[in-house]
Amino acid sequence: MAGIVIEHLKYRYPGSNKLALDDITFSVNQGEFIGIIGRNESGKSSLCQAIAGLIPNFYKGAYGGKVLIDELEVKKVEVDELCQKVGIIFQNPFNQVTGSKLTVYEEISFGLENMGIPKEEMTQRIDEAMELLDISKYKDRYPFDLSGGQMQRMAIASIIAMKPEVIILDEPTSQLDPQGREEVFQAVQKLSKQGITIIMVEHNMEKIAAYSDRIVLLEDGKLIAIDTPQVIFSREDLIEYGVEAPIYTQISRKLGLKDKRTGCYPVTLKEIKPLLETEGGDR
Amino acid sequence: MKSISLYVDKGTLLNRIAPESKIMYIITAITVPALLGNRLAGAGFIVLSVLLLLSGKVLRKTIPLLSVSGFVLLTVLIIQGMFRAGNTVPLFSIGPVIFYREGTSFAMSIVINVINILLSFCVLILTTKPSDMIENFIRRGFSPRFGYVFISVFQIIPQMTETMSTIADAQRSRGMETEGNLWVRIKAFIPLISPVIMSSLINTKERALALEVRGFNSKHKKTFLNDERKTSADPYLQIILLIGILATIGWRVFVWLA
Repeated sequence: MAGIVIEHLKYRYPGSNKLALDDITFSVNQGEFIGIIGRNESGKSSLCQAIAGLIPNFYKGAYGGKVLIDELEVKKVEVDELCQKVGIIFQNPFNQVTGSKLTVYEEISFGLENMGIPKEEMTQRIDEAMELLDISKYKDRYPFDLSGGQMQRMAIASIIAMKPEVIILDEPTSQLDPQGREEVFQAVQKLSKQGITIIMVEHNMEKIAAYSDRIVLLEDGKLIAIDTPQVIFSREDLIEYGVEAPIYTQISRKLGLKDKRTGCYPVTLKEIKPLLETEGGDR
Repeated sequence: MKSISLYVDKGTLLNRIAPESKIMYIITAITVPALLGNRLAGAGFIVLSVLLLLSGKVLRKTIPLLSVSGFVLLTVLIIQGMFRAGNTVPLFSIGPVIFYREGTSFAMSIVINVINILLSFCVLILTTKPSDMIENFIRRGFSPRFGYVFISVFQIIPQMTETMSTIADAQRSRGMETEGNLWVRIKAFIPLISPVIMSSLINTKERALALEVRGFNSKHKKTFLNDERKTSADPYLQIILLIGILATIGWRVFVWLA
């Protein structure tokens, strides 16, 4: 299974004077759930595309450093080969529908057909992916007739069927309603439990804090910090990076509720409850 | 949102027949009457197409197509029947309007040819899933990239139409007049072009990325989820149609040499 190593990654888009990614170095363990946060234009999507190999294989421009997935340098591998190792999901579920298939079942087969997967294996993989994403009931539906959340789950299933070891989700819930968002998060959590490495860009801090093992904080293409959600959201200077801590962290900060063991504020309701009980008992 | 494809799956034998056989049928239905130079042959193929469409339970779907072309054909019939150069023998008259035999006969040939072509194409279009047809072509060596372009057009055009209608609604909500006479509509159309093109370009770029990460440019030999659409009768059908075309060509050459 895949671990990711990023070493001194630099990237500048063609025609731009500014580095979109500026000397980024960190590594991700296999099976980790990594959240990426930062203000708009901080380099979140560029980082995702660099890990997926779209930078520099699809987007040209000035590129330096290395991205290694399982010791395989993404720059040296074509995207169509890399897609069996790394899958990427984009913001708009609508634009991820190929437009060439008439049912959800056929839509999921698109990548597998391109990769030359035999039919028996293909059907088995599609069934597994649909089961995992809980979309089996939509298998005969026309892809464009699905709701945003269902469509995004179909896009994830299409990627899952290709059996990648890493899945990157670039703001997959930004265009979805709360129900659609919840559906996607539950699906991603299932993937994470299966040992797939997840990298997710998300603006909903409550969600990303709850699901991530570690969080990457970016600003102006630079890596500011990579640490547990508790450490990242306990930073005093967080607001300077255009990020607001989860509501539970904000409440805890107001109430002065810190985990004495870690010295950090809690980031979820689950974490805040025992602290409230202890502190409430003390008062 | 639906595909703009006219395909209707009625589960009939015609739905199961290979697209190549239907394409062969179109070629036969067009070339044989043309080579024979005989209106009866054209009429015969029209009857055959109607029977095929009936068996495919899609005859009613041809009515809108025939209605559109019917108006044009009626115009041809009237103009040729009344004014064709060389009109001499009156056929019938409606009040002072005289229709001539020569012009009407010429117009009838055009009408038969057009209806024959239209109905034979309907046999293919109304009973064949576009993706099945393209998949069959890809199996025979057609480029999967071009195949994708052909298939996706059926679904992406309705998507663009919907985007245009959303943008039109947005413009209307800001007070732009979009209903009214031709000039008002033209004026309303111009501000729509830029956002529609821009959003289409952005969508295209995003879709290109989404396709790329699903192996669109893969060098692997493509496999298919669906089995090839064909019946055991297809090879025979194609041979019979080919023999029909070759026999007609042979007869034509023979007549020409004689």
